[in-house]
Amino acid sequence: MKNLIRCGVLALAATAAFQVGLEAQSGATTAKSAAVPDLSGYWNIKGGAPSWDPADLAGKSPKNAPMTPWSRQKFEAARPPFGANATFESVNDPVQKYCDPPGVTRLYQYPYEFLFVQTPDTVYILYEFSRVWRLIPLNKEHPKDPDSTWMGDSVGRYEDGALVIDTIGFNDKTWLDQVGHPHSDALHLVERLRRVDKDTLELELTIDDPKAYTKPLTAKRTFTRSASPPTEALCSASEMQAFQNQVMTPTVKAPKK
Amino acid sequence: MKKLAITWACVLLAALAAIPAFAHHGTAGYDLEKVVTVKGTVEDFEWTNPHAVVRILAKNEKGENEEWTIELGAPGIMARSGWSKNSMKQGDEVIAETHPAKNGVPSGLSATSTILLKFIVNGQALPSAH
Repeated sequence: MKNLIRCGVLALAATAAFQVGLEAQSGATTAKSAAVPDLSGYWNIKGGAPSWDPADLAGKSPKNAPMTPWSRQKFEAARPPFGANATFESVNDPVQKYCDPPGVTRLYQYPYEFLFVQTPDTVYILYEFSRVWRLIPLNKEHPKDPDSTWMGDSVGRYEDGALVIDTIGFNDKTWLDQVGHPHSDALHLVERLRRVDKDTLELELTIDDPKAYTKPLTAKRTFTRSASPPTEALCSASEMQAFQNQVMTPTVKAPKK
Repeated sequence: MKKLAITWACVLLAALAAIPAFAHHGTAGYDLEKVVTVKGTVEDFEWTNPHAVVRILAKNEKGENEEWTIELGAPGIMARSGWSKNSMKQGDEVIAETHPAKNGVPSGLSATSTILLKFIVNGQALPSAH
C-alpha cells in the first residue's frame, strides 16, 4: 500500500513538472503548448481546389469572391489557367508567362511536394515547384517596415502542435490562386500547419487583405505523405515559352473546318 | 510496313471532366468529355518540364499522314506513376488514348496530375494510374 501511495505521489510530481516545463517553453503570457511537432517527410499537394475563396474552392464562380473594386478590376483583367475563366489564349498568368515566383498561397495549389527543415531557431520550407524556399525565424518579430518581396517576411512559432507562420511584406505581383484572384501589398497571411496523423498534414490558411477583400478568407487543405523525394520542377522561361508555342497555342487557333 | 490507323472512340467521361486537372496551365484547350485513340509510331518523346510531350505519326480517316502532339504530365509527376525518359522512343509502335483539342487540330492531353490515360508501347501497357 505504501508503495502504491509513493508511486502516485511520484506520478503527480512528474505530471506537474512536465506542465511547468511546457508553460516555460510557451512563455509567461500564454498557456498554449509550444511543443515542437514533427513535420518531417515529403508532403504531396494533390490536385484540387484552385481557388482560395472558401465559398468556392473549386473556382466555379470566382467573380463572387468578396473583392474590393480595386481587386475586382485586376481580377477581370486576369487570364487564368483554372476555374470558370480558364483559358489558353492571351495568357497573362505571371507564372506561365514569365516564370515569376508563384507566391506563397499559390505554391500550395501546384501538384508537387514540399518539405520542412526544422532547426531550433528557424524553419525552412523547400517547395518542389519552382524550387523556391522560405526561411522562417522562430519566436521573432517582423521588422518594423519590411521591404515588399515575392515571398514576404515570415516569422513562426509553435502553438498547440502546429507550426504557425505569420507573413507580411508581400509585393502585389503574384496571384492569390490559380483562378486569377489578386492580392495587394497589404496582404497578411497566417498559415497553421499541423500533422493530423502520420501521413496527413493540414494547412489552415487565413488571408487578410483589406485592400483586396472585404473580409478575411480562411480555408483548409490537407496534404499526404509521399514516398518519393522532390524532383527538379524548375520553371524555365525558355521551356515554358517553347511549350506555349508548340503545344498550347495550336489548340486555340481557328477551329478546323 | 504495318498499317497505321486512327480509331476515333468518343467516350463520355463526365466523372473525369469534373475533376480539376492540375498542372501549370489547366485544360481549357482540350475536350475532357472525349477520348480519342491514336495508333501510330513515335516520332519524338520529350521528357522535359513543364510537361512531357510525345509526337506520334498516324494516319487520319482519309489515309493521310498526320502528326499528333500529345501532352503528358510533368516528368516528376509522371515518374511517381512509374514512367521514365525510357518509356518510349522514336520508332516505337504506340496506341494512345487522349483528350483531343477542342478546335480539331491533332493534339491531345493524356496526363495531368489527376489523369493518366492508357498508353500501349510495343504491345506493353505503361502505368495508367496516378
